[in-house]
Amino acid sequence: MVLRIVRNGCRNLPRSGRRSFSSNPLNSNGTGDITNVPLSQPIPGLPPPRFTSVKASKNETQVTVLDNGLTVATENVFGQFCTVGVLINSGSRYEVAYPSGISHFLEKIAFGSTTQFTDKDQILQELEKHGGICDCQSSRDTLIYAMSAETRGLQAVVNILSEVINRPTITAQELEDAKMAVGFHIQGMELDPNPEPILMEMIHQAAFRGNTLGLPHRCPPENIDKIEKNILYTYMKNFHTPERMVLAGVGMDHEQMVELAKEHFVKKHKPIWLEQENLIDTKMSVDNSLAQYTGGKVLMEKDLSNVSLGPTPMPELAHIVIGLESCSHKDDDFISFCVLNMMMGGGGSFSAGGPGKGMYTRLYLNVLNRFHWIHNATCYNHAYDDSGLFCIHASSHPDQLSDLVEVIVRELLNTTSFVDKTELQRAKTQLQSMLLMNLESRPVIFEDVGRQVLTSGHRKQPEYFYDLIGKVTPQDIQRVAERMLTSKLSLSALGSLANLPDYENIQNTLLGKNGKRSRFSFLGL
Amino acid sequence: MAARVFKIVASRPTKLLLQPFKTGTRLARCQSAKAATYESTIENLPETRVTTLDNGVRVATEDSGIPTCTVGLWIDAGSRFETAKNNGTAHFLEHMAFKGTKKRSQTDLELEVENMGAHLNAYTSREQTVYYAKSFSKDVNKAMDILSDILQNSTLGEQEIESSLLSYKTSEQEIIILRNSTLGEQEIERERGVILREMQEVDTNLQEVVFDHLHAVAYQGTPLGRTILGPTENIMTINRNDLLEYIGNHYKGPRIVLAGAGGVDHDELVKHAQQYFGNLGAGYEGKIPTLETCRFTGSEVRVRDDTMPLAHIAIAVEGCGWTNPDNIALMVANTLIGSWDRSFGAGANMASQLASQSASMNLCHSFQSFNTCYTDTGLWGMYFVCERDQVEFMMTAVQREWMRLCRRKISPVELERAKRLLKTNMLLQLDGSTPACEDIGRQMLCYGRRIPFSEIEARIDAVDTRVLKSVCTKYLYDKCPAIAAVGPVEALPIYSRLRSEMYSLQV
Repeated sequence: MVLRIVRNGCRNLPRSGRRSFSSNPLNSNGTGDITNVPLSQPIPGLPPPRFTSVKASKNETQVTVLDNGLTVATENVFGQFCTVGVLINSGSRYEVAYPSGISHFLEKIAFGSTTQFTDKDQILQELEKHGGICDCQSSRDTLIYAMSAETRGLQAVVNILSEVINRPTITAQELEDAKMAVGFHIQGMELDPNPEPILMEMIHQAAFRGNTLGLPHRCPPENIDKIEKNILYTYMKNFHTPERMVLAGVGMDHEQMVELAKEHFVKKHKPIWLEQENLIDTKMSVDNSLAQYTGGKVLMEKDLSNVSLGPTPMPELAHIVIGLESCSHKDDDFISFCVLNMMMGGGGSFSAGGPGKGMYTRLYLNVLNRFHWIHNATCYNHAYDDSGLFCIHASSHPDQLSDLVEVIVRELLNTTSFVDKTELQRAKTQLQSMLLMNLESRPVIFEDVGRQVLTSGHRKQPEYFYDLIGKVTPQDIQRVAERMLTSKLSLSALGSLANLPDYENIQNTLLGKNGKRSRFSFLGL
Repeated sequence: MAARVFKIVASRPTKLLLQPFKTGTRLARCQSAKAATYESTIENLPETRVTTLDNGVRVATEDSGIPTCTVGLWIDAGSRFETAKNNGTAHFLEHMAFKGTKKRSQTDLELEVENMGAHLNAYTSREQTVYYAKSFSKDVNKAMDILSDILQNSTLGEQEIESSLLSYKTSEQEIIILRNSTLGEQEIERERGVILREMQEVDTNLQEVVFDHLHAVAYQGTPLGRTILGPTENIMTINRNDLLEYIGNHYKGPRIVLAGAGGVDHDELVKHAQQYFGNLGAGYEGKIPTLETCRFTGSEVRVRDDTMPLAHIAIAVEGCGWTNPDNIALMVANTLIGSWDRSFGAGANMASQLASQSASMNLCHSFQSFNTCYTDTGLWGMYFVCERDQVEFMMTAVQREWMRLCRRKISPVELERAKRLLKTNMLLQLDGSTPACEDIGRQMLCYGRRIPFSEIEARIDAVDTRVLKSVCTKYLYDKCPAIAAVGPVEALPIYSRLRSEMYSLQV
């Protein structure tokens, strides 16, 4: 009885705005009482639902290549919703012969008018019928059109996909709107107190100077007015070909998906640029060059003394990113690099979240916990088809840039020395858990299926990577660290840079040319 | 190449893919599973199973059989239960939770969690306090052990524990609960600094700032008007006794839900719950804490700062409490008005008229319709960010849209789209074990049950144009709004004019 008292004690209060259920002002038209039943009570008369019982079956990705070269990949997971989309080998890395920014435009223009649909609204309405939403995102090497909808709407979804990918009719208005949206997006990045997207853009430009992955991912402002309809069509004609695409899906039957793909991507009318040849400019071609890691520097002097958008001031910071070449995700060392990335970890000196955010990674233990003037130190590993970039982003007050560089360089040099067993085991377990936790989400499974099939033709299940991570040894970590340290330095920096050390100097220290790897001379440590 | 899975991990660039439009960050996030249509509804999701322990702790799980899981404690306690004097205690307590227990030092606790690849997190809202862990399913027992330890055995000042505990002794069980707590005075001192730093962080987030101002005016003179962090004076003075008192008053079995999602076996979790939380007290020896009614006041606050680049404004009327059936219609209205950001472009969220107006007339940078619910009241309204010379036009557009809900009929097509979108958003939000677990915990506290999606769907379906108009009129029409405006807001019309836009002579 104690329990009852407790509940009543704190709950039985006068509630303003609670309607009495007997008098019924709303439903004089006989729709029943549903809109008057409090949410704490079940609706009378509604039959109880029958639930599915669980125990996920063993998953497997099925892959079929169609006659025209399009690959169809599906994985049938549990749930009444499906995520379907097309992944294309297309993105800023292929834009060398074109004005940079095309992928950024394609992303903004996606799901616009097509030969079948008059405008984006019509597509959205069609999609809404099946409880669907859509999205388009471009990364440096992949363009993804994706939708989530109820599985019974699969046919409609595949039809929309084939329309938006093969038969977009870019109207003058849509192009204008895209220009605005791209402009706002770039402005937003400039205003954003978080400089990470800009820094990542800069470090890629430094690491892959003038080629592939180093090409601007976001449209440079001066290109906004250069990008015209025929350029977009020409680009799509060259890059959005069936053999560069994967139609991927999660949560449906494979045979059904293959049939739908045949109908909408093979039988139906040709892409619009093949039907109307005046849309394209035949001179531009496909770029298949491999990424060339060059190293180098991209610095941007900028006043960051007042980045706060509100009345509360934020501390003035200068940012550096120090990068080295890691490896492609196809490389045998890929997993070891991922573990090394995890071991370095890091984050902000002030960040929300409890234990589990990587508080015992090296960048916390050796950097953030020891040097309180360092505001942020985070490690990243970007892996692509043919190369990779391992980098550390760090920030502090501009006066301390020189010390900051020293601390970070020392941490990079330290990666080749002793690796503690417990530390390694922790990094491996965290990577394993992160892998599986990310894959709780259907859109992430979709993206993983799509990307793996796009680059290798099949998908390995997470268990495979789980086991590989488990096998990484301290020697592996030291080996990849040595490998990475032989590459040329990539450096980017943003803010007041008067105290930034010389590029050559940092490079020499990393290569061990400033004395015998003067790693222990820094700051008297 | 699980390349990309790793890449998402390493540089988190693509996580946004396919997240539904969020209808206001504080929107009453409602709902669970999925059904086809009426009648023979088959929820294509596992059932939510609920078991109540003898001391009132409710265990609710949804087992999807995956190798990872989320388990956590949802407690019916938050800053609303505080007084002006101890405002900030609930949040302070949340901070102290990770500072070590009788069994584990802070370092032991952190290392144990990090080494098992798990995550421990906690948050405090005005009405709820939440502690949860995300881990491999095989580690669920360890996760439960840690959760129960931090909740029941936090040190809060090791040495003095026995004495202050006795001074606060209410029952035999209390002692058991707090036995291992060490809430150390020293740690408490250190944590003051951390919380003040957090306060600075919050202050740089203008949306948070505006919502705190909005609560402060809308619920002036009541507990809901206070912030969650509490004023600086309190953060400087809250002591161990305040914390113990708060635990003693609020961390009671019947006010706690243990929720689990992902790979969690219900029977196993019930067993663990019995083992770890079976001793938790259920009753009160002293005064039973009551929930004070929080009166809504139509009023405004302007924090004019012309040096800021953009104006940040929230306007809200009094909405309704969690269980009020009108909530469904208010959520539909919310979705109908929608949310938008100018970098989405003109084509985004075309279902929303306000979005297309904003795009074509360049009215604002972004807007979000929101519906924040509490036990017996709520805030229903709009938050937007715009240029200084657009403030008045944007406000007019928002209020016209509101009047359209009340007076002129919304077309059935428009309503239908909003209803579908609402269902979709609710479903797609439940992606992953943590959102599912949060949904279970929150619903168990707010509704005392988990509502099957088929039921939510039926309820949304029942909102026709008449119901929508009627509910909107009830909450919006000729009501005094609460307004909070920060930044270059000179162009915001005076209150009496904004008030006069809350009715319309066009019927």
